[in-house]
Amino acid sequence: MVSRARGGAWDRKLVGPRLCVSLSGHSMAPPRPREGRGHRDHRWAPSEEEALEKWDWDCPETRRRFEDAFFRDEDYIRQGSEDCHKFWAFFERLQRFQTLKTSKKEETDPGHPKHCVPALADLPRPYDSRYRINLSVLGPDMRDIRGSGSQLPPKRVSEFRRALLHYLDFSQKQAFTRLAKLQRDRAALPIAQYRKCILQTLKQHQVVVVAGDTGCGKSTQVPQYLLAAGFSHVACTQPRRIACISLAKRVGFESLSQYGSQVGYQIRFESTRSAATKIVFLTVGLLLRQIQREPSLPQYKVLIVDEVHERQLHNDFLLGVLQHLLPTRPDLKVVLMSATINIMLFSSYFGNAPVVQVPGRLFPITVIYQPQEAEQTASKSERLDPRPFLRVLEAIDNKYPAEERGDLLVFLSGMAEIGAVLEAAQTYASHTQRWVVLPLHSALSVADQDKVFDVAPPGVRKCILSTNIAETSVTIDGIRFVVDSGKVKEMSYDPQAKLQRLQEFWISQASAEQRKGRAGRTGPGVCYRLYAESDYDAFTPYPVPEIRRVALDALVLQMKSMSVGDPRTFPFIEPPPPASLETAIQYLQEQGALDASEALTPIGCLLAQLPVDVVIGKMLILGSMFSLAEPVLTIAAALSVQSPFPRSAQSSLECAAARQPLDSDQGDPFTLFNVFNAWVQVKAERSQNSRKWCRRRGVEEHRLYEMANLRRQFKDLLEDHGLLAGAEAATPGDSYSRLQQRRERRALHQLKRQHEEGAGRRRKVLRLQEEAEDGSSDEDHAGPAARHAEDSVDIQDVKFKLRHNLEQLQAAASSAQALSREQLVLLKLVLARGLYPQLAVPDPFNSGRKDSDQIFHTQAKQGAVLHPTSVFASSPELLHVQEPQATCGGGSRDDKDKMSSKHQLLTFVSLLETNKLYLVNCVRVPALQSLLLFSRSLDTNGDCSRLVADSWLELQVVDSEGAVQLLAAALRLRACWESALDRQLSHQARWRRREQQQRRQRLGEEDEDEEEAESVSRAEVAALSRELLQFMATKVPYSLRRLTGLEAQNLYVGPQTVTATPKLPGLFGSSALSPHPTKGGYRVTNFLTYNCLLSDTDLYSDCLRTFWTCPRCDLHLPLTPLERMAHESACATDLHGGPGAEEATTEQSRKPSALQRPYHCDSCQKDFLFTPTEALRHRRQHM
Amino acid sequence: MASETEHRSLGVFECQLCGLTAPYSYVGQKPPNTQSVVLLEESYVMKDPFSPDRDRFLVLGARCSICGKLACVGPECSLFYSKRFCLPCVREHLSAFPPEIRQDLEKKKAPSSSGPSGRACPRS
Repeated sequence: MVSRARGGAWDRKLVGPRLCVSLSGHSMAPPRPREGRGHRDHRWAPSEEEALEKWDWDCPETRRRFEDAFFRDEDYIRQGSEDCHKFWAFFERLQRFQTLKTSKKEETDPGHPKHCVPALADLPRPYDSRYRINLSVLGPDMRDIRGSGSQLPPKRVSEFRRALLHYLDFSQKQAFTRLAKLQRDRAALPIAQYRKCILQTLKQHQVVVVAGDTGCGKSTQVPQYLLAAGFSHVACTQPRRIACISLAKRVGFESLSQYGSQVGYQIRFESTRSAATKIVFLTVGLLLRQIQREPSLPQYKVLIVDEVHERQLHNDFLLGVLQHLLPTRPDLKVVLMSATINIMLFSSYFGNAPVVQVPGRLFPITVIYQPQEAEQTASKSERLDPRPFLRVLEAIDNKYPAEERGDLLVFLSGMAEIGAVLEAAQTYASHTQRWVVLPLHSALSVADQDKVFDVAPPGVRKCILSTNIAETSVTIDGIRFVVDSGKVKEMSYDPQAKLQRLQEFWISQASAEQRKGRAGRTGPGVCYRLYAESDYDAFTPYPVPEIRRVALDALVLQMKSMSVGDPRTFPFIEPPPPASLETAIQYLQEQGALDASEALTPIGCLLAQLPVDVVIGKMLILGSMFSLAEPVLTIAAALSVQSPFPRSAQSSLECAAARQPLDSDQGDPFTLFNVFNAWVQVKAERSQNSRKWCRRRGVEEHRLYEMANLRRQFKDLLEDHGLLAGAEAATPGDSYSRLQQRRERRALHQLKRQHEEGAGRRRKVLRLQEEAEDGSSDEDHAGPAARHAEDSVDIQDVKFKLRHNLEQLQAAASSAQALSREQLVLLKLVLARGLYPQLAVPDPFNSGRKDSDQIFHTQAKQGAVLHPTSVFASSPELLHVQEPQATCGGGSRDDKDKMSSKHQLLTFVSLLETNKLYLVNCVRVPALQSLLLFSRSLDTNGDCSRLVADSWLELQVVDSEGAVQLLAAALRLRACWESALDRQLSHQARWRRREQQQRRQRLGEEDEDEEEAESVSRAEVAALSRELLQFMATKVPYSLRRLTGLEAQNLYVGPQTVTATPKLPGLFGSSALSPHPTKGGYRVTNFLTYNCLLSDTDLYSDCLRTFWTCPRCDLHLPLTPLERMAHESACATDLHGGPGAEEATTEQSRKPSALQRPYHCDSCQKDFLFTPTEALRHRRQHM
Repeated sequence: MASETEHRSLGVFECQLCGLTAPYSYVGQKPPNTQSVVLLEESYVMKDPFSPDRDRFLVLGARCSICGKLACVGPECSLFYSKRFCLPCVREHLSAFPPEIRQDLEKKKAPSSSGPSGRACPRS
């Protein structure tokens, strides 16, 4: 499609008025070449005449000969270049033009008196258009031409030469016209009048607010004004990545340094920045990270913060940071750019900074209020009624003649609403043939988004159905009509439930005005508001700032790592709700990123440097420890981008079937993992088909590209932080393949450049019914245009191959397919630990329900359902407990509970509430083992047969002995894992410090061997992995139940009944067993509380001793479960201790423990301080 | 593929007729990095900003060979007929030019000048 558009544009250029001026304005006199001097002509007499008759300029061989002579490598135009093609096209037009003109008689020059002005005295006569060309081509010598064997007739040479001159003149004129137009357009922008004023104000003040409405040109012009005024080291922040790229391109183009490096951008995956860059466009998030590294921001002299009125979370925080920073950097200038919304808020936040207010360029807009009838909401439950929107289409058709251009922009609240109106509007459009209907939202691919910029054929209007993305982010020209539904869907955050809610709201007055303004950018417009004027009056003046509606975990983490003080007292421009801050702090504490004093932990430090969600960051860290980095990288990336499976209902059946082999019954992240790996394989094997492959499976390919980018970034981060060994330089050994590789890369680079040159964003003409065709997912049905696109260069593919090492990716993908069962189990453990406590328990009655009615409960929310794209939504039986064994006594009050060793929980990535509460991206995990390993609190009864995890899930184990064993194993594993992780992190922290030191001092060797030794050894990790696998494989029948609210309230015995518990030895090492202050029972570790559960059996816990034989030392005694655990742990230490074990234990026993008692041994006549177990063991020695 | 020899700007070319400004990197008849093309007048030249090729140049303007004013090559400001002439000078000496050029000029209106004006600054 690209080439088609290019051809079209090219044609237009050639017939354009400029050519007519340069060629037709003056008659084409027959050539009187100066170059081909007369004497040569004689040698070519009659045979040449003949040759001239038969001369064929279209013959490729002829052309090649001329190209050989004139378009050599050192010439202005090179053979095979785009210019070369353009020249021949120009040449053809010129030829045609000349044949038209040859009939014209040559005017005889009447002779002219010499002019008195010297410059005019020697004007050439007669007139020849060639004299109007201010350049000349130093062509190859004629002898060279003949010497090379290709005989070029001089007449033809001069003909060619002349055409070449005209071509060069034409392209000069063309470029100059572009330049002049550019300058004119810039000067015509409203802000151009304020250039001097802005620069002057900035000279006098540290902070200036530039307020102007869309279309005034502030984003593109202010950076250029600064550049022209001699400022350098300018950073301009944008809320969105896409804006960074497009602005850098635009500003580079306008400032005539499109191909220079003065203007660059820097975003998450890409940077065009170099030492010569004077202005860089970057995202706010990235700038904050730069401040995080260098708090005084020494690399910039001017900071432009654009779109501050949007009140984006990062922007608000940046303003706070800047307020703090400015006094220490008096030389730093700041320009805040805003729409004309709430300007004084920003001005006063920076000590009444001066405001330069620029009017926007708007034409008058008529507002028509068309409130909807209330009737429609009642009947049609959830689906939006498209009729009011169709009525507007109809009204436009009736009122405005089709010849009057002007497109329609409809603002809807969300994708579902767009879908509903799209369907109806397309039906209407196919009847009237007067509309092309296009959706626009952020989930569309860039190519699809780009369609809204294409033009509709004559007599047809575009109808763009958009979310609020078109309110500020995307500006479409030619809009004359706007329909405003008055609604917006926004994520709101419930700090209590830690729940994202996608809810529909009324928009603010500011948004309504913004939407209206979109109709008046190119001419007078009309805005239809589908609500009453009284509704408008009731709207809030401004939208709710993001800081008031999102989770603040990441922000708090970043604040902590930037040491800006207590987040609660940070001088935000408008403070967030205190509850959100508290939740965030608490959450970070739960996640282990902050300690009890709210200081960053080592893991927190690391997480703060990873620009990802805390849980994903944890996954990456955990995964790198278990040598599962490659698969975890992919999964982490997959979970950080939007789902690649679109929700369009129609296509999903076929696509889902095609995708099915890639579904993983382990859970959605693993399906994504499979899809990504399979895609990489497709790319590696038959690259061009990956687009087709994706379409057949209903996969949005650009999400996969995003994943690849993100994965790469994660990998770099892990390598940067010493968590992953840097990739060995994977250059192939022999020089041939190196050469080959270089050649391939060069070819790719060229493809990319060609694409960038060619895609001069020429607007295509849309076809009626385009949607219907493109909507079809099966490429066999696609029109010729689509097939054409298939053949053309897939620029995404080119970029992908340039950016990534496909071989490495493929290797990772292949190894992923060969993932062993053990690795898979470990991978799941890593995910589950990262995602904890995001767990849901299946409803016990699910097995009796329909597939679509499966419900799940989280600790805070009940009745969540699975997202329809989830594998468990199509195969719910994967979560059902299959073996309904005989119910068991065991003190269970609820006989309905199944005893099984196969209970499972779902761990999920996010909880999303729209019309229902959805679990998004679920993985199934074994319930008992996961809870034992991850719970923040585990409470037990006396014999440990009843366990309560995090005060909401109750596990009853039939075999209390098995339970005790599992619990003991879990304690041990958790301690090992924790300590390994701690050492890994502190090792990493030291590594990083050293790295920084080295960078600063360039001092090579500093006791690194000693430090190296402290990292976690491979053997240790292997042993831990083995034990974890063993633990996961244990099969103990148990029941799983969610506690009712009442039960949860009356769960614990409480502190007063403590006396009933016998004094017992510490379970591990020296940790003293102390009564739990609120739950009662004993705190064994920071998560395990023994015997605090209120139940009948508690009273008899003393009597629960049963005879037991230690498998290690053959001790046979009646012991309580806890005593037994204590013995086991002591015994295990003995075993590990080896020869010095005896000493180690005595050493240990000397440490004060609340449970040790003086013991006098009659046999050896010595006094000891022994715990009861130790006493028993001692006595056994004498037997 | 950033060129090592970043085209250093020598100054800003400003058309004395229409006020168009652009940075130029060369003045003369042999644009840098190009061997095969020569200019027939002393021209103010910049690297063609619309082309990625290093050797592409763009002639911005030259001095009128009558009045010596700096004029851009735009058809509203000047024309070339074996030399550069600014349009006011051409009009003044119209008879000296061939009829083709006279016809050409008749089609054009006199250029309208639009000087940029500034706006007042906020009180501060």
